[in-house]
Amino acid sequence: MRVQRFTIGLALALIAAAMFAVFYFNLYRVGQGSGRTVVVLLKTTNVRSDFWQGVKGGAAAAAKEAGAKLEVLGPLQETDTEAQLALLEEAMASGPDAIVVAPINDDRVVRLLGRIQAAGIELVVMDTPLRMARQPITVSGNHREAGRQAGEFAETHAAGPSKVAVLSDYEGSGVSAEREKGIKEALAPDGYAGTTYIGDSEERAYEKAKELLARKPPVGAIMALNEPAALGAAKALKESNRTGAVRLIAFDSSIFLIKLLEDGSLDAMIVQRPFNMGYLGVINALRRLDRRELDRETYIDTIVVTKDSMYSPENQKLLFPFK
Amino acid sequence: MFMESRPFRPLFPLKSIQSSIAFAFSCLILIAIAATSLIGYRLSVAAVENNSKAYIAEVINQVNTNIQSYVDNMENISLLAMTNKDVKYYISSNSFIGSGERRPYEKRISDLFQSILYTRKDIASIMVFGYNGRFVSDRRITTLNPNARLEDQAWYRNAKRAGGKSVISAPHVQNVIQNEYRWVVSLSRELKNVDGLTADGIFLVDLNLNVINDLCSGIDLGRKGYVFIVDEDGNLVYHPQQQLLYSNLRSEKIEEVKRAASGTSFAADDAEGKRFYSVKETSFGWKIVGVAYEDDLIGYKSTLGNTILITVGAVAVSLLVSVVLSHRLSRPIRNLQKKMRMVEKGNFDVQAEVMQMNEIGQLARTFNMMVGQIKNLMSEIIDTQENKRKSELQALQAQINPHFLYNTLDSIVWMAEQKRHEEVVRMTSALAKLFRASITKDQELIPVRVELEHIRNYLLIQQMRYRDKLDYRLEFEDSVLNYKTLKILLQPFVENAIYHGIRNKPDIGTIAIRGMEKDDRIVFEIEDDGLGMTEEQLERIGEAGDGEFRSKGIGIANVDERIRLYFGPSYGIKIQSELAVGTLVTIAIPKLPLEAEVCKTTTAPIVPIEG
Repeated sequence: MRVQRFTIGLALALIAAAMFAVFYFNLYRVGQGSGRTVVVLLKTTNVRSDFWQGVKGGAAAAAKEAGAKLEVLGPLQETDTEAQLALLEEAMASGPDAIVVAPINDDRVVRLLGRIQAAGIELVVMDTPLRMARQPITVSGNHREAGRQAGEFAETHAAGPSKVAVLSDYEGSGVSAEREKGIKEALAPDGYAGTTYIGDSEERAYEKAKELLARKPPVGAIMALNEPAALGAAKALKESNRTGAVRLIAFDSSIFLIKLLEDGSLDAMIVQRPFNMGYLGVINALRRLDRRELDRETYIDTIVVTKDSMYSPENQKLLFPFK
Repeated sequence: MFMESRPFRPLFPLKSIQSSIAFAFSCLILIAIAATSLIGYRLSVAAVENNSKAYIAEVINQVNTNIQSYVDNMENISLLAMTNKDVKYYISSNSFIGSGERRPYEKRISDLFQSILYTRKDIASIMVFGYNGRFVSDRRITTLNPNARLEDQAWYRNAKRAGGKSVISAPHVQNVIQNEYRWVVSLSRELKNVDGLTADGIFLVDLNLNVINDLCSGIDLGRKGYVFIVDEDGNLVYHPQQQLLYSNLRSEKIEEVKRAASGTSFAADDAEGKRFYSVKETSFGWKIVGVAYEDDLIGYKSTLGNTILITVGAVAVSLLVSVVLSHRLSRPIRNLQKKMRMVEKGNFDVQAEVMQMNEIGQLARTFNMMVGQIKNLMSEIIDTQENKRKSELQALQAQINPHFLYNTLDSIVWMAEQKRHEEVVRMTSALAKLFRASITKDQELIPVRVELEHIRNYLLIQQMRYRDKLDYRLEFEDSVLNYKTLKILLQPFVENAIYHGIRNKPDIGTIAIRGMEKDDRIVFEIEDDGLGMTEEQLERIGEAGDGEFRSKGIGIANVDERIRLYFGPSYGIKIQSELAVGTLVTIAIPKLPLEAEVCKTTTAPIVPIEG
């Protein structure tokens, strides 16, 4: 009899436990993803950088959507490797679930990111793909595709068959190299008229553009891979009154480039979607934490904006980040 | 239809009332708690949902009111401009303002716009464009963007088409002023001439989109909830994830919102989770939509978790209570059961204590009555049985074996013929004493002395009959003589010893009869050196009252039973016998001194019979 009572007691306890479990999981099932901490390390948190503010906005939207906690860090200067290293150390020490970083391509940064991976923190690399021993999840603009879009634009809009010259920043720049590759892919075999490196100097760009314009046979289009290149080239075109005759295509957006696009000095802009990059960076980190299947590399598409399309609802949102 | 009928067998075969009660209680409690908590949960979820819906509707209303007030304000400004004479004159195609007089007009209009702008932080700019090419803004010096053609602007075209009615644009970047790219919502309207028929120009008020943005983004609809606005064509006015929507990373239920009437709400459930859409339409066609996620609404998890903990605690406590309660309830029953078991073993002296006046108390009382009845009946039966046996015995005793009498009388006759007078006298007197002893009926217990006398007489007669066969010895301790014994206790054994042991023995046999004290009892021994018995014979003696012994007098088994009946089970007869050696009968009875006259008054057993 004693044994039997024990059995009944056990059965009842089990029923109670089962009920509790059912209730508990019904209620708490929805709570997934919350309470996760994600640190986003931008190249800069400077409010003047529309691009990185866009990334930040996207990251915030993703964190809100998934109910995760978000912390956004970043140096004031985009090229400040020391500051980025210090911030990465800090982020690692705070022990988040995931770090989403737009890294500066530097050996020390790569080594530190390796340590972050080893510490069991989910790592997602944005913007600049890195070569690492354990390849992290990458979310970046499809720069080669952007180059291809620019090349195709030049092909279709140039008056007759003409050569395309490229004004790039540095030889070692990964992003610029990708863009250049894309441009070459889209062009006719003899359409490429060489690349000139102008660094970050608008002055140099202006001079090099002048040289390009003076060439024979004339250059039909100029690809400006960064902002100073576009500004310098636009100035050179204006001075030689060849605005519109020689196509000028720029990458990325800024208020100065927008003005150039508006007044016709610039024929097209290949624009990234920073908001999407930030959003997908954080979302992919969270998906990874939930052990969900996802591609190792995610590319953010770029779009071609011309004077006619710049005030469409979609493009306005891209070109004029809302502050 | 044939169905095999099988007796119902419960899942747990419960063998005690306590576990049955406990099980029943527990089931009841569990079902009750489960039901109430389920219903409670459903109710509270429903309540939370309703509250949240009401709350969202309220919030949306607030947003609506605010946006409406901004728009009303712009409307008012436009009315002000419309009715302003300076503005009218300035843009009229009639050239009654000379080019020289333009400056003061411009200044006055600009001052007016500026003063409005000062009071309203939400307004980005106020401008008026005449079809005559003139324009004034709130700024002293206005340079128009040379690359932005007025005719291309949506607000300009729409106002012209609306013909005097105000038009609200979707949010856009206002680029008419050089070097300014501000996100605004524009209200524009065509201004009529003094005659009210011909149109003279377009009036424009820009509302900072920041205002709407801050309004919408500042609204808290839970962790994931948000507010968005669409215009009448379904274009997004504001959405926190507008860019994701444009690049198709997310989708929004625009079509459903377009279809939904103002003040209604609908639910959506897809990969993004279950959520509610509350829609409110403004007077100028925008739809303000609040989106709240269900898991946010029912996000009071900790409280619900606590409730569940409490529920589990309550279940545990009530289970405990049910066990205790069932234990208490079934305790009297178990007590009763214990008493019954004692009765089952034969103890009729138990009394169940009646503690409660409920059914179990009644049961206990009835039980007590029943046990008492049984006890009475039992003692009655014992009495009758005893009386019966006694009368039987007395009858037996009364009729001393007639053969014995005939034989004895034959012997007397024979002795008289032989003229052996002395022997005749002795034998006759012995016979007389023998008879007298068996005639005294009233007393069952007699002194050992009397019994000794009786057996002596009997042996005297027998010895005279079997002169050359029988010898006897009587060895009684003196102390024994003053105790009591049953009447005619020894005679049957002596009789047996003679008839079965000695009579058929070729040579002379001896019977020794001894009486002695042993500890707290008196022991009689009847020993003979006769033929003795085989073991089977010995066993047969034990069988109640039948067989050859019975026919020859009083059965040995009966004697044994008599002793036990009188003195208790620890007394009685023991027989040892060996073939060709002899038989020893040992009789044990308690010491009952003569002085104590106990036995005279009672015929009932002195020692109670134990079961």
